[in-house]
Amino acid sequence: MKTLHIDYSKCIGCETCEFVCRFVHSTPRIMMTRTTDGLMMPLYCRHCEDPNCARVCKQGAITRDAHGAMVLEPLKCRGCVSRACMLACPFAAMLETDKGVMLTKCDLCAERRGRGMGPACVDMCPCGAISHADASELAALDTPEARAAEALVLAHIRPGSGPSGAKGS
Amino acid sequence: MPAMNFNFLCPGPAAPAGRSVGIIGAGPSGLAAAGHLSCLGYQVEVYDKLPKPGGLMLFGIPGHRIPRQRIADATRRMEREHGVVFHPQTKICCSAPMFEEEGDHFCREVLGLKDLVMRHDASIICTGSWKSRRMGIEGEGLAGVYSGLEFLFPIRAARYASAKVKTPEVKGKDVIVVGAGHSAVDAAHGAVGLGAASVTMLYRRTAREAPCGSYEIERLKEMGVVWRELATPLKVLGSESAESLEARIGGEVETLPAQAVIAAIGEIATPPFAKELGLEEVRKGEVHWLHMTAIENVFVAGDALTGPSKIGKAIYSGLKAARSLANWLDLKAQNRLAEYAYDDLVAKDERFRK
Ligand SMILES: Cc1cc2nc3c(=O)[nH]c(=O)nc-3n(C[C@H](O)[C@H](O)[C@H](O)COP(=O)(O)OP(=O)(O)OC[C@H]3O[C@@H](n4cnc5c(N)ncnc54)[C@H](O)[C@@H]3O)c2cc1C
Ligand code: SF4
Ligand code: SF4
Repeated sequence: MKTLHIDYSKCIGCETCEFVCRFVHSTPRIMMTRTTDGLMMPLYCRHCEDPNCARVCKQGAITRDAHGAMVLEPLKCRGCVSRACMLACPFAAMLETDKGVMLTKCDLCAERRGRGMGPACVDMCPCGAISHADASELAALDTPEARAAEALVLAHIRPGSGPSGAKGS
Repeated sequence: MPAMNFNFLCPGPAAPAGRSVGIIGAGPSGLAAAGHLSCLGYQVEVYDKLPKPGGLMLFGIPGHRIPRQRIADATRRMEREHGVVFHPQTKICCSAPMFEEEGDHFCREVLGLKDLVMRHDASIICTGSWKSRRMGIEGEGLAGVYSGLEFLFPIRAARYASAKVKTPEVKGKDVIVVGAGHSAVDAAHGAVGLGAASVTMLYRRTAREAPCGSYEIERLKEMGVVWRELATPLKVLGSESAESLEARIGGEVETLPAQAVIAAIGEIATPPFAKELGLEEVRKGEVHWLHMTAIENVFVAGDALTGPSKIGKAIYSGLKAARSLANWLDLKAQNRLAEYAYDDLVAKDERFRK
């Protein structure tokens, strides 16, 4: 069961992850955001243990695959106007597109995994900020610096809920 | 830390495809294109005037932001596993005089674009955007006035050839940095690191509008950097070298002590043969084959095409140019180019034929 982890304290906001994902999948599934104080950081899917998106989807279109990735099955998705999954995701990782069912999300590069490769963004981040990590490896990645930097990003996507005054280390 | 993987599009070495491609410039765009094409089994050769591949990821951006080892290991893997040949210290030249841009003094070999174009089935120009914009004010020619890259490049390059480069002397000096982008932040950071007596940043707008963001500015202030906004430099004063800078700050004209002034106000693209390659037309999209220049087997990508951007955009541009080049060679091999809209705009340039 592997997931994606970004150490925001190592991220320089270079947009490589978003552009590489775009090259591989035509529509990016990881999206840069700019906080009010000018930090550029990518928002991404955590492939949560108990995912809100899957719970709220009435069609059961978001399911876990054999490697533990939460994937959107376009055949089941109706692209419903309520966009319940988008609203439910606390990490802003369900993305709207202008193609197909109008929604997309990270599937940890399912097609690439099928060919023995890993997530493209992990390979290409110049800073090594993105890891494709096992649950057992996550604790080591969760350094105080990483946590402080993540608090800044979460405060931005959930105004009012986070420690908005918190600054990085 | 594992290496970056420019060969991320293939699970392992590809079978040889019997095609040869030359890439000029080993920055992120060139390396991304090299990775893509070597994954298709092409013999890829990368030419760069600097001693190490990496471009501005190595020679512009400080090592505390991008781990050097991750880049060095990545290019070594390209060589060992995917047969990419790197030609360091090799400048692909043009009509312009030598020793004009930062990093030229590293060259050991100078090849003409023509030699290169004839040596390979196709080439991609990924030379980045290194010529610094000038402030255009009086006293700019005085010693002690630097552009962002003039100041930063020697600091990064000193570790590769310390005899050839001179790290700027700012110890104990009052330093003024003009601008508020990535290179301005890095220059201010560098000046503090080199022991400047004071570092002041001048920006023509406000912190909220600064391209680097107010978060970075706060970090610099914590390091002791003085931030002055709504500030426009007017004149560098001094007899032989810079002594002070006259600037309009908020409406008042002030004279600030400055024995070093770093104008980090952006770079402009300087690809070899810009005019002959019709780069203006490529920029405007007035071509019928993506990323192709006026010479039909020469493509262009990255900051050389777009002007200063960011690593992600440069990588994307390199990948797209590589894909376009591969499609073009495929159709050409099948004699099917005529089926595609492909007309006079993409001129057949006779000068580059035998
Ligand atoms: C100080 C500074 C800080 C920056 N910080 C960031 C940041 O934090 N995040 C971000 O995303 N972007 C940043 N950028 C921008 C980023 O570095 C560039 O957008 C990116 O490197 C462009 O990639 P490129 O491959 O097009 O060109 P480059 O990286 O410029 O590489 C071009 C290469 O071509 C070689 N070359 C040039 N001419 C010739 C020739 N005639 N013959 C042979 N070789 C040649 C050069 O030696 C160089 O290696 C920064 C830029 C600067 C200057
Ligand atoms: S793991 Fe793959 S799909 Fe997910 S964000 Fe990274 S590149 Fe995109
Ligand atoms: S590629 Fe890495 S450093 Fe660049 S924005 Fe994405 S996570 Fe940050």
